[in-house]
Amino acid sequence: MSALGGGAAGGEGINPTASLIALVIVLVAVAVVFVVYPAALVPLIGVIIGGVLISFGVHFVPVGGAPAAMGQAPGIATGVAMLAAGGGLAGLFGGAWAAEFGIAISLAAGAIGGGLLMAITCLMVNVVYVYAMGIPAASGKVDKDPITGDTFPAYKSQGTEGHGLPFISYVGGVLGGLFGGMGGTLIYYELLQVYEEALPSFLGTTEGMTTLAVSLAGIFAVGMFLVAAVLTAYNITGTIEGPHDPKFKRWPRAVIGSSAASAVCGLFAILLVVI
Amino acid sequence: MSVKIEASEGGMPHDTMLGIGVVGALVCLYIVYLNSLMSTEVFAFFGGLAAVIALWWGTDSIKTLCSYGLGTGVPSAGMISLGSGVIAFLFASKLAGISPLLVPIGCIFIAAIIGAILGFISDKVLNMNIPVMTRMIAELTIVGSLTMLGFTAMVSGSFIFTDLIAGSVSFLGMEVTSYAASVIGGCVLATIFMLGAIAIQHPFNACLGPNESWDRTQMCALECGFLSMLVVAIMSVAFLSLFAVVISFAISVILWGWSYSEYIKLSKRDAFAWLDSKPIREVGGE
Amino acid sequence: MEEILFGIGISALAGALATVAGAAEDTESDIGSQGDPNSQVQLAPQMGYVHRIYNKAVSGEPPAYGLWVALAAGVAWALMAIQFNAILALVIGSAVAVFVQGVYATTAYLGRTASLAKFEQPVYIDILKSVTSVTMAHAFVAIFATVTMCFLMIEALGHPFPLPLMGIVWGIALGAAGSATGNPFYGKERQYQNYPFGAGLPISASGDIVRYAEAGERSSIDNGWFTSKGAGPASGICFGLIVFFELWRTILFEPFAAGWGAVIAGVVIIIVFMVIDRYVETWARNTYGPYNTEEAAPEEEAAA
Repeated sequence: MSALGGGAAGGEGINPTASLIALVIVLVAVAVVFVVYPAALVPLIGVIIGGVLISFGVHFVPVGGAPAAMGQAPGIATGVAMLAAGGGLAGLFGGAWAAEFGIAISLAAGAIGGGLLMAITCLMVNVVYVYAMGIPAASGKVDKDPITGDTFPAYKSQGTEGHGLPFISYVGGVLGGLFGGMGGTLIYYELLQVYEEALPSFLGTTEGMTTLAVSLAGIFAVGMFLVAAVLTAYNITGTIEGPHDPKFKRWPRAVIGSSAASAVCGLFAILLVVI
Repeated sequence: MSVKIEASEGGMPHDTMLGIGVVGALVCLYIVYLNSLMSTEVFAFFGGLAAVIALWWGTDSIKTLCSYGLGTGVPSAGMISLGSGVIAFLFASKLAGISPLLVPIGCIFIAAIIGAILGFISDKVLNMNIPVMTRMIAELTIVGSLTMLGFTAMVSGSFIFTDLIAGSVSFLGMEVTSYAASVIGGCVLATIFMLGAIAIQHPFNACLGPNESWDRTQMCALECGFLSMLVVAIMSVAFLSLFAVVISFAISVILWGWSYSEYIKLSKRDAFAWLDSKPIREVGGE
Repeated sequence: MEEILFGIGISALAGALATVAGAAEDTESDIGSQGDPNSQVQLAPQMGYVHRIYNKAVSGEPPAYGLWVALAAGVAWALMAIQFNAILALVIGSAVAVFVQGVYATTAYLGRTASLAKFEQPVYIDILKSVTSVTMAHAFVAIFATVTMCFLMIEALGHPFPLPLMGIVWGIALGAAGSATGNPFYGKERQYQNYPFGAGLPISASGDIVRYAEAGERSSIDNGWFTSKGAGPASGICFGLIVFFELWRTILFEPFAAGWGAVIAGVVIIIVFMVIDRYVETWARNTYGPYNTEEAAPEEEAAA
C-alpha cells in the first residue's frame, strides 16, 4: 500500500477473555434489538452473518502487498482491505441489481459479482507475470500446491519468497470474492428490508422512498464492509497467500471480532428507524 | 518495504489537540444552528470548518496509531475511521427527533461507543496488542463522524435527518419535494465519505519519513480539509441558495490558498534542497 | 428483444469505457509512482540512490480512485440536480475531481520528498510542474470514462444505486483491478529494468531502482511511456472484462430460470477463466522451466 510494512504486531492464538467479551457484545446487540424492535431481529442476524462472511472471505484473498509488486513475494500487489473491497463492492453492485428477485438470487448474484472480479483480476495478474515479465508462479509458504500438486521450490527465483499466483491462490482469490460479495450483499439486502418497511410509516408516503432506502442501505453496507475488511487486514497483518498460508488459521478470531463489530454497527443502523 | 515509521516529536501534546478538536468542532457545529434560528443558509460553511478542525486533530491520532506499525498501510486506518463514523453520524442525525441540539453531542458519544468497541476488538480480540489502539480507534471514529457531520452540514445547511432526506426539485417552475433529490437520497454522503477517508489519512501518509515535522503535517491536514471544503461548496449548489454557495466557496478558496502556500513554504523549509531543472545530485559529491 | 439488444449495446459501450479507464488509470498511477511500487521510490534515497522520480503517495489506488470517481459523480449529480445538461455535468465533475487529484499529488510529492531530507534527496520542482500535469491528464481520462460508465448503468440499465454511490463502488473496483494488474509490471519490470528478465527481484536489491535513462536521467513520464505498452492495456482489459461480463451476464441471462440464469452464466464464466489461468500457469512452467534443476547442477560443475 505505502512505504509501511514491517514491524507489525499480531501474535498467534486467541485471547479467550476478549473473545468472550466480543461474543457478549453480539448477544447484547441482538437482545437490544429483540426488546426494542423485534421485527428487525432477523435482519440484524443477517447483518452479523454478512460481517462474518466478509471477514472470513478476506482471508482467502491472496495479497502480497508492496513486495509482490517487485516479484519478491507471491500474491496480488495491492492492499488486502482494498482489494477485498473492490471485489465485495462489485458484488454489492450485482446483488443490489438483483434485489427484486428475492434474497437467494440477490445473494448468489452478489457472490458471483465478487467472484467474477477476482477471477478476472487474478487471471490478468498471472498473464502479466507470465507473458510480460516471464515469471512463473511459485508459492513461498508451501512446497506443493494442495490442489494441483505442482512443486514450487525450483520455480522460485533467487532471493525471493516466490511470486505470481499459484493455482491454490487463484482459487482462494475467487472464493474470497464470492464470500465478500455475498457478505456485502447480505448486509445491504437485510438493511434494505428494514428501511423499506419502516420508512413509509415514518415519512407518511412512499413517493421516492425506494431511492432513500437504497441509498441508506448502500452507504451502510459500504461502511460496514470497510470496517470488517480493515479489521481482517489487521488480523493477517496486511499480507496473506491464500487458504494454504499458515496465517489463514487466524480466521476464528477475525470472525469473532467482525461479528461483534457488525453487531454493533448493525444495531445502530437498525435503531436509526426506531428513534 | 519496511521503512521505519518515525513520528515526529514535539509540537502540541495530543491531549491538547483532542481538546481543541472536540471543542472547536462542537462550537462550529452549533453555529450552524444559526441557520435555522435566523432562517438563512449562509452559516453552512461553519460545518466545513468543524470538519477541518476534526481532521486536524484526527491527523495526529492517525500518526500516534500508525507509528506502531499495523502491518497494513496508513490508508486503512482512514477507511475504518469513516466506515464506522458514517454509522454514528447517521444515527446521531436521527436524534434530532428528540432535540435538534442533541445531534453534535450525541454524535460524539455514539461514535465513542462504536469506536471503543472496534478498538477493543482490534487490540484484544485480534491480538494486535498495541497500547494506544482502543483509544485511537475511538478517536478516529469520532473524527470520522464529525467530518461527515460537518461536511453534510456544509452541503445542505443542516444535519437533521428529516432535512437530509427531503430535497426539492423545480418542475415547470414549481418547487416539488422529492426524496431522490435529497442529501441521503442522492447519496452525496458517498462522496463526503471518500473525501473524509482520504483527507484524514493523507497528511501523515504524505509526510511520513525521517524528517517528518509536526507543523508541516498539520498544515497538510488543514490543506486537505480546506480542499475538501472547496468541493463540498461546489456540491452545495444542489441544496443551498446561490448566495450561501458563493460565501462558502469564497471562504474555502481563500483558506485553501493560504494553507497550500503555507504548506509549500514549510516543505521548502524542511527540504534538503529546492532545485529547479537540476540533475540528480549524487550523494557524496560529484 | 429490442430491449435486450439495447442492453447488450450499453454493456459493450460500458465495457469499452471501462477498458479506456483501466488503461488510463494504470498509466496514471505508474507515471506518478502510486501504489505499491511507490515503496521503492521512497526506499531508494535511503539506500543512497537519489532520483528524479515522482513520489505520489496519495494512498493505495483503490481508495484514491474511490475518491476521484465518487467526487466526479457527486459534483455531476449536484449539477444535474440544478438542471445542468448531463454530459456537461459529467465533464465538470471530472474536471473538479482532477483538480483535487492534482493538488493531492503535489502535496504528496512535496511531503514525502521533504521528509527525506536526512538522505539528501532534494525537491525537484520542475518534476512537480511537468509530471503533475501529465498524471492529471491521464486521471481525467480514467475518471471521465468511469463516471460516464456509472451514469450509463443508472440511466440506461436502471440500476437502483444513485450516482455517487455507484462512483464509490466502481472507483474502488477500478483501482483494485488497475493496481493488481499493473503494479508488478511497473514495480519489477520498469523500476528494476537492469535486473535479469524472467525472475523476481532479489529482496537484497530493494531500493536500487533505475535512475538514469538511455541518455540523461529517467523521468517519470518515461515510465508512463513504458508501462502504457504492457501494464496499461492489461489493466484496461482486466477492468473492461469485469464490467462487460458483469453487465452482459445479467442482461442476457437474467430472464431465464427466474433470475438464476445470470448466476449460472456467472459460474460458467468464472470456471472458464479458471481453466485459462491454469493453462497460463502450466504453460509458464513447461516453457520457462525451473530456475535450477537437478540436471542443471552437474552440467555447471562439468563446465567449471
